[in-house]
Amino acid sequence: MVDDTPLARRLVDAIISDYPDHKPDTRPVHTIGIGVKGYFIASPVARNYTTARHFQGDEIPATVRFSNGTGSPVERDSASDVRGMATRFHLPDGSDTDLIAMTLGEFFTRSTDEFLELTHSAQPQTVQAASWWQKLVDMLSFRVPLPDPPPGDGKSGAPGLMHYAQRHQFAQRGILQAASIGAPVSYARASYHAVHTFVVIDENGLRRYVRFTWQPVSGVRNIDPNATPVNQYLHQEMRERLARWPARFILRMTIGDVGDALDDPTEPWPTQRVKVVMGTLYLTHVAQDQQADCEKLGFNPCRLTPGIEVSSDPILHARRGAYQESQNMRGATACPFHNEAS
Amino acid sequence: MAEQKSLLARLADTKLFHWIAEKILVPYWAWRQPTAKKPGGPPPAIQPSQNVQHMMNLVMPLKDKSPIGRAKAVQAVSQNADEIFAGLDNVGTVHFARFIIVDGNLCMISVYDGDFTNYIRDFIATIGSVFDAIVEQIEDGDQVIPSEKNVEAFIDWVHERDMYQAADMAGEVVQITGHNADGTPEYDLRSLPRDVILQLNANPNVSLGTGYRAYPGFSAAQIREKTGTGW
Repeated sequence: MVDDTPLARRLVDAIISDYPDHKPDTRPVHTIGIGVKGYFIASPVARNYTTARHFQGDEIPATVRFSNGTGSPVERDSASDVRGMATRFHLPDGSDTDLIAMTLGEFFTRSTDEFLELTHSAQPQTVQAASWWQKLVDMLSFRVPLPDPPPGDGKSGAPGLMHYAQRHQFAQRGILQAASIGAPVSYARASYHAVHTFVVIDENGLRRYVRFTWQPVSGVRNIDPNATPVNQYLHQEMRERLARWPARFILRMTIGDVGDALDDPTEPWPTQRVKVVMGTLYLTHVAQDQQADCEKLGFNPCRLTPGIEVSSDPILHARRGAYQESQNMRGATACPFHNEAS
Repeated sequence: MAEQKSLLARLADTKLFHWIAEKILVPYWAWRQPTAKKPGGPPPAIQPSQNVQHMMNLVMPLKDKSPIGRAKAVQAVSQNADEIFAGLDNVGTVHFARFIIVDGNLCMISVYDGDFTNYIRDFIATIGSVFDAIVEQIEDGDQVIPSEKNVEAFIDWVHERDMYQAADMAGEVVQITGHNADGTPEYDLRSLPRDVILQLNANPNVSLGTGYRAYPGFSAAQIREKTGTGW
């Protein structure tokens, strides 16, 4: 039977189905977050690569939402999880452009069909406890032991996710990274990757395929994974940090080369690629109105401005509709694509 | 359950288990799952930015590992300083090169642009006599000197002693092991630690990743040009 549900809705529903405790009217993933304010100043070389307004060197106001990756409404800051950094640049003409990034270096799938299959695989299932004998055999075989059932109902999506990775090489890198990613001591002490390839266009019309990464000036640092779990510390840490001094991030742009994966967010680019410092983001204070400046904001990775375009990455294209659908479902602030480039 | 795990975890930390793992389990799994020695040096690439700043990590066991033998190695390098500097300038593709002595091995660490065989070939042409003086101090070195008369054999000899460059991330190991290209049988990701152990068993000397660069993607010639330091 053909599923007539629009793809964007199916993607959002599929994600939500992986979180049985998901709360309606909240984001399907990256549900818990904090909004902060600041400004971005492009580096002197940034304008050589793109005509995009926020890369011309003057101060551009910015709103950033940091988040935990899970779609659960329960805040578990010390849990190993992907973190998000959604940045909105407020351009002088009144329009906005977004850059959405996460601590994972690569995405899990190359297409929407693969993504739907992945989310289906990640449906929570009852986890059987391994016997001590199985664990001993694993130890003697230098194999990672099967995880113990989680507390509560003993259900977890991890085994299905791992099984998916075992069958699909393209997903292994992302899933392995996600499995061991840990928790940052601060949202301001993690690197965030925009994952997808974008196209930047300079004043001569030269088009370059690029990927963006935010690098924290204060350095990357995770908490001790063996320490006693603390459910809530990241928001308070950010408040205290910004009360003392702005948090800064360098925006690094990697330029793709011949043969690089331009439409595949599961495939990293080699480390030898040319990297350009595009500017510095200064985060100065936590947003006063967390509803208006954080929870009700609707970011979109395809909200771009002239000088930057999307690549042919099908996941990036699908995210455009999925993010809009998600915004509609949770009643987020409407933000039309009045300044889109594609 | 937590107690059982804790017991096993404690067992894994004992000296007895470490001894069993090293002396019995690793050889057993190396026999069950043969893992080939990997070739040294960077993988071949066609992309311009990937053909600059290659690493060479040459580990050459000294014939004489005593202080006297090590002193001979020091002398072989230091008495040829002028030749080395002149050679570096003439070849023009080297970002830096240095010699170090570690546990009876003379090591040459360098970062160079372009193809490995041409890098060595250029050096043989310009400072072959220096290579000869150095390689004379190395086990099995006599068979390839004088280098100018054994060019291809010399290049192979160097390549065999260049370190295997492992992947930048653990996840990349899966790709390197060659398991589970799409359409092939499943690869059990839980076996990744064993694959890493067996790779390191087959390749005792390993360069971890392809390095970290302040200015990736640029050749030595480009940097000279941009910094106004010329040729």
